[in-house]
Amino acid sequence: MAMKTGDAFEAKELPEEVKATLPNVYVDDLLMSLKYFIDEDKAHLRIIDQAVCARCEYKPCLYFCPVGVYTQGNDGRIQVAYQSCVECGSCRVGCPYKNIQWELPRGGFGVAYKFG
Amino acid sequence: MNSERIEFDAVVVGAGLAGSAAAMVMARGGLNVALIERGQKPGGKNYFGGAIYTHAIADLVPDFMDRRPPFERPVTEAGFWFLGKDGLTRMTVQGGELNADPPDAFITLRANFDPWWAEQAQAAGAFLIPKTTVVDFIREENGQVTGVLTDRPQGEIHAPVVIICEGVNNILTQKLGLIHRDLEPAQMALAFKKVISLPMETINARFGLPDDAHGLAVSVLGDVSLGLPGMGFVYTNKASVSIGLGVMLDTLAEYRLRPYDVLQRYLDHPAIAPLIKGGQLLEYGAHLIPEGGYRAMPKLATDGAMVAGDAAAMVNALHWEGTNMAIVAGKLAGETALEAHSRGDFTAKVMSRYEDRLSEGFILKDLKQYRGFSRFLETHPQFMDVYPNFVNGALGQFFTAYGKPKKELFKGMLGSLTNRRGLIKAAGDIVSMARSVMGW
Repeated sequence: MAMKTGDAFEAKELPEEVKATLPNVYVDDLLMSLKYFIDEDKAHLRIIDQAVCARCEYKPCLYFCPVGVYTQGNDGRIQVAYQSCVECGSCRVGCPYKNIQWELPRGGFGVAYKFG
Repeated sequence: MNSERIEFDAVVVGAGLAGSAAAMVMARGGLNVALIERGQKPGGKNYFGGAIYTHAIADLVPDFMDRRPPFERPVTEAGFWFLGKDGLTRMTVQGGELNADPPDAFITLRANFDPWWAEQAQAAGAFLIPKTTVVDFIREENGQVTGVLTDRPQGEIHAPVVIICEGVNNILTQKLGLIHRDLEPAQMALAFKKVISLPMETINARFGLPDDAHGLAVSVLGDVSLGLPGMGFVYTNKASVSIGLGVMLDTLAEYRLRPYDVLQRYLDHPAIAPLIKGGQLLEYGAHLIPEGGYRAMPKLATDGAMVAGDAAAMVNALHWEGTNMAIVAGKLAGETALEAHSRGDFTAKVMSRYEDRLSEGFILKDLKQYRGFSRFLETHPQFMDVYPNFVNGALGQFFTAYGKPKKELFKGMLGSLTNRRGLIKAAGDIVSMARSVMGW
């Protein structure tokens, strides 16, 4: 039952009629509600090897990250907007290839929830 | 430069619910405690549903109500909502046990609560060190932990005992070898929610609450997570609503779902949208919940160190418990550290008394009993889909006059279930639900 990893990772499809009920949310509208102390000098998230991402068929990180940190550039490379990260850890455990180097931001930096 | 060696009697990593509880107990016992927090202030990294149980708070601060805790509302109504395609069946309880004084639980926002909780530790003498990330341990050659390394310049802090309350991303716990790998995505729920501002009177009117001394906490099952394993929640704050859902991370990854799309779909549901209509988004956020249960727990103690709270996967997903386990586990770890100091022995032999203490109370008993539940929703998707729809359809028909003989109606109701799930299978589902909860 465990999620398959590496090249064995398989995407599943929802029935079309269920999929059609999903709205298309612009995540930046949500990010505006968040407060961050951005560390301009150090990215706490890093793709370990872009070649692994290129080989990753389904690239689930482009979807499951709750704040849309991961996007794919025109050149096909995965871009990491670590500044938006809420440090949940989903990509740390969810990347099928464990290809993301995930560290905590330096002390005081990163998301600062106002409500929680 | 001649740098002074920084030394404490104990170090706590993380000023959340477990960490501040541990620091409180140790400081009261006379120890010199460093409480290290990576955020700007305690709570800044924490995000939950949610409610906090008073039994755990009272355990450490019996007069907590006199210390003006920043609670939102007491939970005076709790239960389940079953969301159908366009309907909603509510099964909630109010009064009775929920009218206890003080209330059993308070709806809370962590960015307010956690600083107050840490203040109780500081009032007892613990020294809070914010904006500091612990990156590693200081260890002797035999492995005995004797302090932590922070990301500050000359960031070594020495102490004979370290209590790790680092949260769900248990990097330090792994560094110590207390668990050898990350939890599986199938053992993690990603919870995401919005805090939506609404006038207090509007919340009272829409949720049927007489005033702001009453609050609602519900789990929402059914058409919340596209028929996939997941559960929604609604909590009424004083002048805002915390509303969101949790979906297993493997589900989000495999179906390539954007959490914010799934959340919006839930908020747009015809039974949910009117409740939050006109509200302003105060904050969106997300947090992982370690729902793997007993089998996902790390080793809890080693030479010079103990683990408590989310870092140790202390969560009972079905009963929304986790915050209380964190507080009580933090307290028990603190008591064990006091025992170690009084004996002058910080080896695993004394540290493992922490696990004995956990076994005596509800935490390990409950986690053992519920060890099967973490897989239950995954293996029984009909609880997300067939049954909530059945309840809505059946009750809808029960309370509708079609001008048809009732016998026909009841046949139809039953048929709407048996078409989707045979009665024997349905009975089997109930048995396996009971098994996973009772630990049979």
